[in-house]
Amino acid sequence: MSDRYLTMAKTFFGTSHPLFNAFGVEVEEVGKGRAAMSLSCRPTLCDRHGGLHRGVVVTLLDTNCGLAIFSRLGDMRPIATIDLRVDFIRPVPAGEGIYSEVECYAVRGDIAYVRGQGCAYSDHNLLATVFGSFAVGTLGPAFDSAMKGEGKV
Amino acid sequence: MALNKAQKEMLENTPFVEFLGLEALTSDEGFSCRLCFREQHIGNPLLRTFHGGILASFAEITAALYLMESLDLVEEPSCSSMTFDYLRPAFAGTIRAEPCIVRAGRRFVVVSVDVYLDKTLVSIGRFIYSR
Repeated sequence: MSDRYLTMAKTFFGTSHPLFNAFGVEVEEVGKGRAAMSLSCRPTLCDRHGGLHRGVVVTLLDTNCGLAIFSRLGDMRPIATIDLRVDFIRPVPAGEGIYSEVECYAVRGDIAYVRGQGCAYSDHNLLATVFGSFAVGTLGPAFDSAMKGEGKV
Repeated sequence: MALNKAQKEMLENTPFVEFLGLEALTSDEGFSCRLCFREQHIGNPLLRTFHGGILASFAEITAALYLMESLDLVEEPSCSSMTFDYLRPAFAGTIRAEPCIVRAGRRFVVVSVDVYLDKTLVSIGRFIYSR
């Protein structure tokens, strides 16, 4: 993915998106059908033990799947999750951040297939795994159309 | 039927549950939860739909709350895995999650949750909990 697309991805997944801003999502790497993202522990996103809630894990993984697909396609045409499977291997330790990596390993017709995982930021302990399928070219304009229109990239 | 102590703990003292802002409803028709759209739930900002991860989180928390009531649990159950189907776009609005126990075994419990936007079924999730 070119630098321009990396910039667009970082812009889309950045502070102007209310959810990603609230989560503090960071785009770590994008390229060759893979993407990596991370987020640090924030009190508003925790469970009662001071660790990130598993709902936050799912949301990060789902988001990361989308970015991996954009990387594989080379553009940000509209996509939507068809199904997602997440296995929660370990709860997120208190105060720990998550580093997630997803690969879009196949696109066939209108379906993109992804697999990935989320690990503890500090010691890379496996926290959760994800498998999913996404519909490609769904309703609405491309995700980067607004950014292009506003001259952000 | 009023919420039990463990359910109240989860609803009132769990930061991420407050971030979502879901409400538990108990009526004659059974247990369900409701979530009113907030900007921080957004997935596709052009179509204005709920983010897939927010939908899954909402459904999983509903399943956990339902289990705490049905099995009279004193603490939150541990979800080991989930599978979630996105059937239709969940446009910004008020969504409702309706859980049911598929199987309560000795070691594992399986809960299915239907998520509705008004009368339209938008998602179905299945959550596995270890006892």
